[in-house]
Amino acid sequence: MKIKQLLKLVLINIYQNKVRTFLTTLGVIVGTATIFLVVAIGAGGEAQVNEQYSKLNVGTIIVMPAQRGKVVDPLTEKDAELFMASDNIAHAFPILQGSGDINYNNFSFNSSFIAIPPEYQENNNLTVQQGRALDDEDEKKKHKYAVLGAELANTLTDGNPSEIVGSNISINRRKFEVIGIFNRVGDTGSHSSYDDSAFIAYSVGEKYLLGTRANPIITVQATGLETVQSAINDITNTLNETHRMGGAEQFRILDAGSRLAAAQESARTMSLLLLAVAVVVLIVSGIGIMNVMFVTVKERTKEIGTLKAIGAKKREILSQFLLEAVIISLVGGLLGVILGFFAIPLLKYFELPALPSISGILLGLIFSVITGVFFGFYPAWKAAELNPIDALRYE
Amino acid sequence: MIENAKCIIDARNIVKIYQNGSEKLKVLDDVSMQILEGDFIVILGPSGSGKSTLMNLLGCLDLPTSGQYYLDGLDVLKAKDNQLAEIRNQKIGFVFQKFNLLPRLTAIQNVMLPLLYRGAKEEEAKESAKEKLKLLGLGERLNHRPNELSGGQQQRVAIARAIVGNPHLVLADEPTGNLDSKSSKDAMEIFKELNRQGNTIVIITHDIEVAEQVKKVIYIRDGRIYDKN
Ligand SMILES: Nc1ncnc2c1ncn2[C@@H]1O[C@H](COP(=O)(O)OP(=O)(O)O)[C@@H](O)[C@H]1O
Ligand SMILES: [Mg+2]
Repeated sequence: MKIKQLLKLVLINIYQNKVRTFLTTLGVIVGTATIFLVVAIGAGGEAQVNEQYSKLNVGTIIVMPAQRGKVVDPLTEKDAELFMASDNIAHAFPILQGSGDINYNNFSFNSSFIAIPPEYQENNNLTVQQGRALDDEDEKKKHKYAVLGAELANTLTDGNPSEIVGSNISINRRKFEVIGIFNRVGDTGSHSSYDDSAFIAYSVGEKYLLGTRANPIITVQATGLETVQSAINDITNTLNETHRMGGAEQFRILDAGSRLAAAQESARTMSLLLLAVAVVVLIVSGIGIMNVMFVTVKERTKEIGTLKAIGAKKREILSQFLLEAVIISLVGGLLGVILGFFAIPLLKYFELPALPSISGILLGLIFSVITGVFFGFYPAWKAAELNPIDALRYE
Repeated sequence: MIENAKCIIDARNIVKIYQNGSEKLKVLDDVSMQILEGDFIVILGPSGSGKSTLMNLLGCLDLPTSGQYYLDGLDVLKAKDNQLAEIRNQKIGFVFQKFNLLPRLTAIQNVMLPLLYRGAKEEEAKESAKEKLKLLGLGERLNHRPNELSGGQQQRVAIARAIVGNPHLVLADEPTGNLDSKSSKDAMEIFKELNRQGNTIVIITHDIEVAEQVKKVIYIRDGRIYDKN
């Protein structure tokens, strides 16, 4: 029989069993949708990680206390100065981070603030769109000035940021004068996005906002990508000398490159895990297909006998039932991809990044077809091997 | 016996034994027969006498336990599965007691099937199928499914399917067994007409009335045949 005719015959059979076909495909629909979404989430996650880290220079090293909460032996400005002595290190800045209520015109907003040495700004592409940046005077004289991230300025002023320059805001009930607004640097994805933060001079943060709780982290810039490892060694040595009680062990030294790798790695692990789930779903749905195909073959035993009597070869019976299983699973696969597309806005709603892709569609469809072939083969083979006499006598 | 007539079926010393567990059941016992091209033969015997078993062997749906069988000169016992399928497809047309139409296909689709299994193009198969159905008075029922047809009409579709590929031999197992007397008569008339047109026809039945309508009858009882002609 010509393949086109065989296909027609199969489609007639499937079409006249719509409900059965649909119920059989449910598992495949879920499985394929999962695969499609896994690939989408994987791609979205990776894009997010890359986007997050694209702002980070790979030569950046971050030194922070290993434990959260109260720190016995915190890092100090002095440590940053000592790091600078290394030939492998271009810059080292202590920064203080905190969060609290930022109030402007009786409008209160919970956001983060970052206390930085003024040089930090040039080294991190923080440039002002209005007013001015923090300078050494502010640091030395502990001026209570703040420069706002673009988004924060927008939020506080309800979309009219220029009015805030020169006005007073309060951060955790301490008064600060806004002297400038930074240009937007883009979403870094982390909690303390620059655009959402208020910046103050390091000394000011230490004195007015964090006081004895001041527990800085130090961001270090290696002179180049090749010197990152030497720089880390130098930092470790310095910490061992200056923090004799616990040495470098009480700190975590992270370099952006390995952080990026770790983040990518964990995004990938997550994808693999979900993929495993999808494969399990497909296997279960494949067993469902196999079951239904066995029932179908049994129901049509007499028909198979008739087909053999009028000249169907084993190969043709096998192809017919295999094709039926494959088409059923392919239909499931297509519906699954459609379901996946509908699910993407839902994922976005739950802030899961998801990027639909051709490769996700193909992978889902390929898996659904493989499921059909794999689990449809045995029932189809059984049908083909039926003895024509027994099949014809079957009631 | 007409001189020159081609021997379509040449079965010699056919034995068929069914093994049911440890029990052996000899259903056909040393059956021999020759059927010539253009014959119209009825094989008559009571229920359980082995008629259907014989038809299955003649139709190459099954192989005998021992004996020899030549169909149109071809040694059937030496044929492989695929060859047997081809023989059934090209040389034999089956008509069953219960019609055995495919329930999800229309009349014309059912009739097209043997041609499609032969590799024919859809258009050609459709033309031939339509022609045969018209011949059998079903020109208005081409697109009806079996459950939309009466028993007599279904059997006519089945007959159309059996003859659509111009087989050497039409084998009918109790073709009137499920029909009322009017439809039975019609069906028999069709077979007679087909025979007049040159088709070789073998009808298997336990109905003496059917047997009375033809000249050549082969009697079978307990797996043995008695040729009373
Ligand atoms: N596949 C089979 N396996 C075992 N016994 C069978 C099989 N087919 C037929 N028989 C037995 O062979 C005998 C003849 O059956 P059958 O050829 O169908 O007779 P008929 O068609 O004349 O009524 C019966 O006793 C039946 O039970
Ligand atoms: Mg019988």
